[in-house]
Amino acid sequence: MFLMRFTERAYVAYSAEDVKKSFRSAVRLTFPNSHFNPALGADMYNEYLDEYEYSDAIGFDGLMLNEHHNTPTCMGATMNIEAAILARTTKKAKIVLLGNPLPIFDNPIRLAEELAEIDMISRGRLVSGFVRGTGVESWATNTNPVHNRERFQEAHDLVIKTWTTPGPFRWEGKHYHFRVVNPFERPLQQPHPPIWIPGVGSPETIVWCAQHHYPYVYLETDPQVTLDLMNLYASAAREVGYEPGPQNFGYLVRVHVQDTDAKAYEVGEGFLVGNAGVGRLPLPGDFMAPPGYNSREATKHLIEQYRHSARPDPLYGGVDAAGWDKVVESNRVIIGNPDTVVKKLRQVLTALRPGILGIWTNDGTISHKDTMRCLQLMDKEVLPALRDMGKELNLPGPFEQAP
Amino acid sequence: MTEPQEHFIELAGTRLHYFTGGQGTPLVVLHSVEGNLGWRSHLEQLAQHYTVYAPTLPGFGRSERPLWLESFADLTRYTLWLVEALGLHKTALLGHGIGGWLAAEMAVVSPQLVERLILVDAAGVRPHQGEITDIFLHGHDASRRMAFFAPDKAPAYEEFFSGRKLPLEEREINVKNQETAIRYCWKPYMHDPVLPFLLPRVQAPTLIVWGKEDQIVPLECGSLYQQGLKNSRLAVIEQCGHYPQFEKTDEFIRLVREQ
Repeated sequence: MFLMRFTERAYVAYSAEDVKKSFRSAVRLTFPNSHFNPALGADMYNEYLDEYEYSDAIGFDGLMLNEHHNTPTCMGATMNIEAAILARTTKKAKIVLLGNPLPIFDNPIRLAEELAEIDMISRGRLVSGFVRGTGVESWATNTNPVHNRERFQEAHDLVIKTWTTPGPFRWEGKHYHFRVVNPFERPLQQPHPPIWIPGVGSPETIVWCAQHHYPYVYLETDPQVTLDLMNLYASAAREVGYEPGPQNFGYLVRVHVQDTDAKAYEVGEGFLVGNAGVGRLPLPGDFMAPPGYNSREATKHLIEQYRHSARPDPLYGGVDAAGWDKVVESNRVIIGNPDTVVKKLRQVLTALRPGILGIWTNDGTISHKDTMRCLQLMDKEVLPALRDMGKELNLPGPFEQAP
Repeated sequence: MTEPQEHFIELAGTRLHYFTGGQGTPLVVLHSVEGNLGWRSHLEQLAQHYTVYAPTLPGFGRSERPLWLESFADLTRYTLWLVEALGLHKTALLGHGIGGWLAAEMAVVSPQLVERLILVDAAGVRPHQGEITDIFLHGHDASRRMAFFAPDKAPAYEEFFSGRKLPLEEREINVKNQETAIRYCWKPYMHDPVLPFLLPRVQAPTLIVWGKEDQIVPLECGSLYQQGLKNSRLAVIEQCGHYPQFEKTDEFIRLVREQ
C-alpha cells in the first residue's frame, strides 16, 4: 500500500464576519486578499514545508500537494513551486501532485517543462496528477468553463506528447497551437512520470482514467458513493480489457492522531474550518460549478449522488446541523489515539480496498505543534500498522503492481 | 393577420427554431442572454406593422448549435447566413442586449443587408467609465433582478425571472441558455474591442433605445453607439432598466414606430 501525507495548507487568520461581508459571502474567489498577512504567510509556508520534510523523514511513501486559486482554504496557489523545493530538500518520498489544473494553463508546454525539472531534481520521484480544477479556478483565471473538459483533454494529450515524442514537432489543436514543441529538458522517468487523477466523482473523468490505466484518487468522498464510483471505473476498465485492483484506486481521508482520544477529539475539530473556510458558509453553487463546467450527464449524476447520500456533505454547509460527533462517527474524519485510529482505518481499508491511502493529517485551526505531534505518533505507531494491514488485506499500491 | 407561427429551419446541418408573424416590411428581432421568451406583447404589437422574424439563436432554447460555433464572430457570420436563408436580402434588425450587439456586428459585416437598425440596451462596446455588469459572476437570479428598474412592479420579471419553480423542461432550457451565453460572451466579456472602430461603416438609419437606469449595460454604451453610428439617434426611457420592451412596452413600441 502507498501511504501519502497531505494538508491543504489552510490560512485561517480571518473571521466568519469577514467572509459574510465578501461578495456573495464567499470564502473562495471573491474573499478580499486584504485579509491575508504576508508576514504570517511567510511563517506558514515554511512550517508547511517543514511538516512535509518531516513526513519524508518518517517514511511516508508520498507527499501529496494540491492547488487552488483565490482562496484562504489552500495556500498552494502554485503547487509546482512547493514541489520544486521538496524535490531538493527531501530524499525518498514521491512528490505527488494532485494535481495541476490543466484547463487553466494557456501554455501546457511550460507546465511540461516545470514538471520535467521537478522530476529530474527529485531524481525521478514525481507523480504528476492532473485535475480539471473547481469552477473557482476557471473564474480566477478567466478560463471559459464550457471549454474545461476539452482543454483538460487537449492539454493532457499535448503534455504527454511533449514528454514522449522526440521534438521538434508542431501542435495545431482546438485550444492550443504551437509551431515548435521542443523543450530540451525531458523528464527522468521514462516514458513519463506516473499519472494519477484525483476527484470527487465526475463520471466522465472516472471512465477516462480507467481507459488510460490512471489510478483515480477519491477525495474524501462518502464511502458508499466511493464504492459505486469504483464500480464505474471497474466497468470501464473491463471494457478496455483489464481487471483493476487496489493499485487503480486511492482514497484520501482526514486522519489526526494525538496521545489520547480526548485530545484528538478536541484538536481534530479544527479540520472543519480548513477546506470549508472559517464560518463554513456554503459557497455559491455557480462559483464551484459555473454553467457549462459540468456536462448535463455529470450534473445528473451528481444530483443522484447527493440524493443517494441522503444528506448534505457534513463538512460543508450541513456541518452545523450534522454536528462534529456525526462527522466523526461516519469515519469522514478519523481521530483518536494511535490504536483508535488504526482500528478505524481498518474499517475504511476493508470496505474500500484502496492501494493508495492519502492521509490528510491537519488543516484549519490545527496548529503546527499539534501537527508535528500527530506525525511523531504516526511514525512510531500508525504507519507500521498500516503497512502490515496493507499486506494482510492484499492492497498493492501502483508501485508494487502496475495499474 | 398577426397570428404567429413557429418554424424550424435547417442550416448547415443544424436545426434552428424561430417565430414569425405579422405583415409589412421584414423586421428581425434578436434576443439576449435569456433566450427566446416566445411571442410576447411587444412582438405582437410590432407584428401589426412588420413581418416579424424572431429566431432562437443557436445553442439557446430549442435551437441546436453547430459544434464548431464557439465565438461571437462565429455567431455573427452564422446569423447572417440564417437571415439569408429566411429569404431576406434587405431587412430591419432589432436586437436587445447581446442581440443588439449581434445586430451591430451584422450591420458592420454586411451593411448592405440592413435597412434599419434598432439597438436596445445593447452590449458590445465597452464603456469608458465603469463596466458592463458581470452577470455571470452575480449569478442568474441577482442579475435578472438587477436588470429591472422596478422588478416588483414588472409582470415580465415575475413571469420570466423571479424565483418561481419552473417545470423541468424550462429549467433545462434556462441552464442551456446560461451555458450558451457563457460560451459566446465570456472573454472579452460582453464586448468586441474592435467594434467601435468599425461602426462608422454602417449608414443605415439607427435608433438606439436605452433604459436610463440600466444596471447591466450602462447608458454610456448607448452614447458610444451613437457616436460611432453616423445616422443614429439615442432615445432614453426614464424609470426603466435593461428591458424597455417589458418594462415600458408602450413607449418602446412608439419609439420603434416613430423612427
